Amino acid sequence: MDEIRQQFLSDLGKANTPKELEEVRVRYLGRKGTITTLLKNTDFSQLTPDQRREFGQKVNDLKRFAEAEVSRAIEAAKARAAASGATAGVAGLDWSLPGTDHRVGCIHPIALVQMELEDVFHSMGFMVLTGYEVELEYYNFDALNIPADHPARDMQDTYWLTNGMLLRTHTSANQVRALERFGAPLRAIFPGRCFRYEAIDASHENTFYQLEGLMVDRDISVANLIAVMKALLSRIFHREVTIRLRPGFFPFVEPGFELDVQCLICGGSGCGTCKGGGWIELIPCGLVHPRVLEFGHIDTSKYSGFAFGLGLTRMAMMKYAIPDIRLMNSGDIRFYEQFPAAV
Amino acid sequence: MKISLDWVSDFVDLSDLTPERIADQLTLSTAEVEGFEVLRRAVDGVFVGEIVALEPVPAAFEAAKLHVVEVDCGSRRYTSVCGAPNLRVGMKAPFAPPGTTLANGVRIEVSELAGRRSEGVLCSAMELGMSRWHEVVLECPGTIANGTPLAAHVPAQDVILEIDNKSLTHRPDLWGHYGIARELAAVFRRPLKPLPVADLGRFDALPAYPLSVEDFDACPCYGCLEFRVAAAAPSPLIVQRRLHALGQRTFGLLVDLTNYVMWELAQPTHAFDGDTVRAIRVAPMGRHGTFTTLDGQQRAMLPDDLLIWNQREPVALAGVMGGLASEVRPTTTRVLLESANFKASRIRRTSVRLDLRTESAQRFEKSQPPAHVKLGIARILHLVEQSGAQPEVTSRFTVAGDLKDAYRPLTMPRAALRAMAGKDLPDDEVLAILHALDFQARFDGEQLCVGIPPHRSEKDISIPADIAEEVLRIYGYGRIEPRMPAVPIEPVYVETALRLEHKARRLLAGGHGFIEVQSYGWFDDVWLAQLGYTPRRTLELRNPSAQQNHSLRTTLVPNLLALVRPNRAHRDAFRLFELGRVYWEGDHGKAVEQTRLAGISFQQAGYPPLEEHFRAIKGAIEDLGRLLGCGPLGFEAGGPGEAPWQMPGHFASIRRGDRAVGALGVLAGKILETVAQEGQVVWFELSMEALDGSIYPELKYVPAPVYPGSWQDFSLVWDIAEGFAALEARLNRFAHPLVVRREFVTVYKGKGLAPGKGSYSFRYWLGAPDHTLSSGEIEQFRSAFLAFLAAEGVPLRG
Repeated sequence: MDEIRQQFLSDLGKANTPKELEEVRVRYLGRKGTITTLLKNTDFSQLTPDQRREFGQKVNDLKRFAEAEVSRAIEAAKARAAASGATAGVAGLDWSLPGTDHRVGCIHPIALVQMELEDVFHSMGFMVLTGYEVELEYYNFDALNIPADHPARDMQDTYWLTNGMLLRTHTSANQVRALERFGAPLRAIFPGRCFRYEAIDASHENTFYQLEGLMVDRDISVANLIAVMKALLSRIFHREVTIRLRPGFFPFVEPGFELDVQCLICGGSGCGTCKGGGWIELIPCGLVHPRVLEFGHIDTSKYSGFAFGLGLTRMAMMKYAIPDIRLMNSGDIRFYEQFPAAV
Repeated sequence: MKISLDWVSDFVDLSDLTPERIADQLTLSTAEVEGFEVLRRAVDGVFVGEIVALEPVPAAFEAAKLHVVEVDCGSRRYTSVCGAPNLRVGMKAPFAPPGTTLANGVRIEVSELAGRRSEGVLCSAMELGMSRWHEVVLECPGTIANGTPLAAHVPAQDVILEIDNKSLTHRPDLWGHYGIARELAAVFRRPLKPLPVADLGRFDALPAYPLSVEDFDACPCYGCLEFRVAAAAPSPLIVQRRLHALGQRTFGLLVDLTNYVMWELAQPTHAFDGDTVRAIRVAPMGRHGTFTTLDGQQRAMLPDDLLIWNQREPVALAGVMGGLASEVRPTTTRVLLESANFKASRIRRTSVRLDLRTESAQRFEKSQPPAHVKLGIARILHLVEQSGAQPEVTSRFTVAGDLKDAYRPLTMPRAALRAMAGKDLPDDEVLAILHALDFQARFDGEQLCVGIPPHRSEKDISIPADIAEEVLRIYGYGRIEPRMPAVPIEPVYVETALRLEHKARRLLAGGHGFIEVQSYGWFDDVWLAQLGYTPRRTLELRNPSAQQNHSLRTTLVPNLLALVRPNRAHRDAFRLFELGRVYWEGDHGKAVEQTRLAGISFQQAGYPPLEEHFRAIKGAIEDLGRLLGCGPLGFEAGGPGEAPWQMPGHFASIRRGDRAVGALGVLAGKILETVAQEGQVVWFELSMEALDGSIYPELKYVPAPVYPGSWQDFSLVWDIAEGFAALEARLNRFAHPLVVRREFVTVYKGKGLAPGKGSYSFRYWLGAPDHTLSSGEIEQFRSAFLAFLAAEGVPLRG
């Protein structure tokens, strides 16, 4: 019986694949297996009852031992096969073939950025409002304290319609519309398409997107503007940002600022992105000019506000490293295909 | 605008500051400095010399137009061979003797030129590194002693700041060096030296100059002074070096000084030849005509253009450029000096139309303060006197209009400053800043009383917020600590329309493989003509970018169709959509604007067949209706169609209830040839306004059946021409208690069927709420349905 045991262990050691192991199992434990037939081929009449009991006990032990060993070996072999990452499995499946049935298309990069920014502003309690692209001169200029002789009103900069209306030159045109509709206090952003009559090149488009923001409430100060801008930019760029304000002139704010963000590429030491200056001019902003609030029928003795303008097209170009603004309206599928609908 | 630190240093001491620091602080407090450039001049070893003899080179070398000159440099004389055209005996000019190195790096050696020994070079401004002007030898004033080192008048170095003009649009006072000096004095808390000017009161006893202004709206103030002077004498080197450093050419004393004062005070002035001009009248052109400006160009005038007239003769285009006939000449000995104030918009209009964007016009466009009318003349006269030219004034300072040279009072609550800043500012610092900017300021109880200086325009400073800006920008925005506004929490209004747009994007792109594109907001006439489409009631641009883009788009479809041809070169199938506005003229001429969602799908002709193609797109639109919370959308055969892509029998009207919300179609025939030869094109367009569903559509759970159901499949033969909808309508008439749901499986057209017939397969799901169906019940349903089909005359496929 010890011989059988030795032989079994030797055979088991030589078998590697589940198939070979199964052969070993059949050879020893099958219906005609060496161990199974041990009892059959023994003449029990020659043995004493004690010997019989002992022999039976031994055979059973051997059988259980062999069964356990084979099972263990088969499990181990399966695990080995799985771990080895065999690509051609038993069913002949090639797991390395590419998947099919892709249904995900693409969202325009400007829309992607717009959707993200809307989420950011919404999380800070700003309404998201739309406006008109064909706008009245009143909302685009007069109500924003842009006087009749302002250069921006010249034919060079504005698309005028034959009916006296215009294509809005900035989303700021929504400021007074929103004040008229909602009054104060107000927190809102206005993303949308704008138009300027200019020659097109790699960095100038006659059609582009902006996102205007407006907050009107009691005691709104420069300190508030800085805090809100800093929070927003940290959300937009997914990290703490350093900002600075410097004077900038826009007729509908006073004081007016250019908000610069410290270059996120070089951290302010100067690089190609910030043209060596360490800062990137990002957001024109300021405290809302009292005249604008008055146009919106807001009591300026009670309320003040701040406004800011983000170039959505420019943000998209920065975020996705798009070198040429003309790609946005190019209609070229090879451009749009690079922006999967991942929002 | 260029700013010379050499010049600014006349008024404020910046000697201990680096250009970087000056540029940074100016950017943070005043205006954006784009950069600076260090100007290095080659003046070492160069002397001022006088030409004492001048003779042409020997005949053999005459073609070279060279002269042999003898130059007196005080301690010794040099002989030089020189080719400059402006040499004359008695003229003084910079002379570089052997051993000197010029700006181009060339070291001067004794050489032989045209057969004569040449011991040095008379220098042009370019050779000295002063400017790019190289045609003539730089002429120095006769008052400089021979042999004076040039470095005594022209320092070897200057730093030129480049300031972004856009950041100066609201600050007319910063278009000159004195204005910038005032800012730097305030920024660095340093004293500002006053601007030296002549006392014009000395001439009050002289006769007034004949002056009349006919349009005080266009010309609120006009001042002039007449004097005798050698107008074309060379300017002092300090004037020449500074004008050169800014890229301004020099001509002669009076012209140079008008430019100098423009660069210093921002006040443009003009010097007329006083013998040509004998009286001044300021009036519009009044008719169509022409005028020749001093650059020799004859320019077309409109009746509204403002001109300066010498009686009946126009002598200057007001605020833009002087006239050719009245300019200061080399022989001019009498000068009429003009210093005026013109309305910004009038000057801008004329200069833009003529594309004559002169330094003068650029400054007047920013609304210069009238107070500078007098200051400009007083400063020029001072500089003329300083130059040693000894002017003889022949008229008193004559002015028409209001100089507005008083401080303008403004009172504001002390608390307003704090409210705008969001922090307390120390009183003394507030006052110090305002005083440094030449404002009058004092606190009176809770009021801050301010006097706005005349040099700050009314457009720039008129309300308390303007005063706050003055204080805060010099105080430093960086010193204001961020503080979040404390506002009550309130639910935020949500604009559903915008959210539904994003939902549509996510569905088409995320679930149906569409790619979002954007196109311009106008049509292209050339493309519309190819499509054979004439839009109606378009809004028209008065100034389109290109001739064929004058109509705003009334539909998104044509611009999308235009994308098929270029993109099929790259992909053999694609789906595109655009979400954008369309516009048209509504009732009573009112503009109507609507948000549309349109798409196209292109694939090669052949397989899959067109019907499958259009059904895939229709599926996307059906999904859209469901997800936007609009309920199921209907599709009805379109009528005659309003556009060439809406071909009868090839498009359907998309309906929400009984309302048309858009259309879906396929291209065929001629328009398919135009858009995509041998391809399939499916298009759709929907009005987003009409799909005003819900961001969160209402949903209701229905319990799944407890007892397992069963199903039965049937293939029905039906006229293709009658259409699926008619078959469905027919099947809707069959009612049976066991039918849970009817599902359309597929349609087969082809072999084994009679021509014009299709086989439509349906699956009927059967079940009961309270028990498992028996085979008898199923059999009973089957025979009832077959009986219904027989009665309706709808055969089963054999």
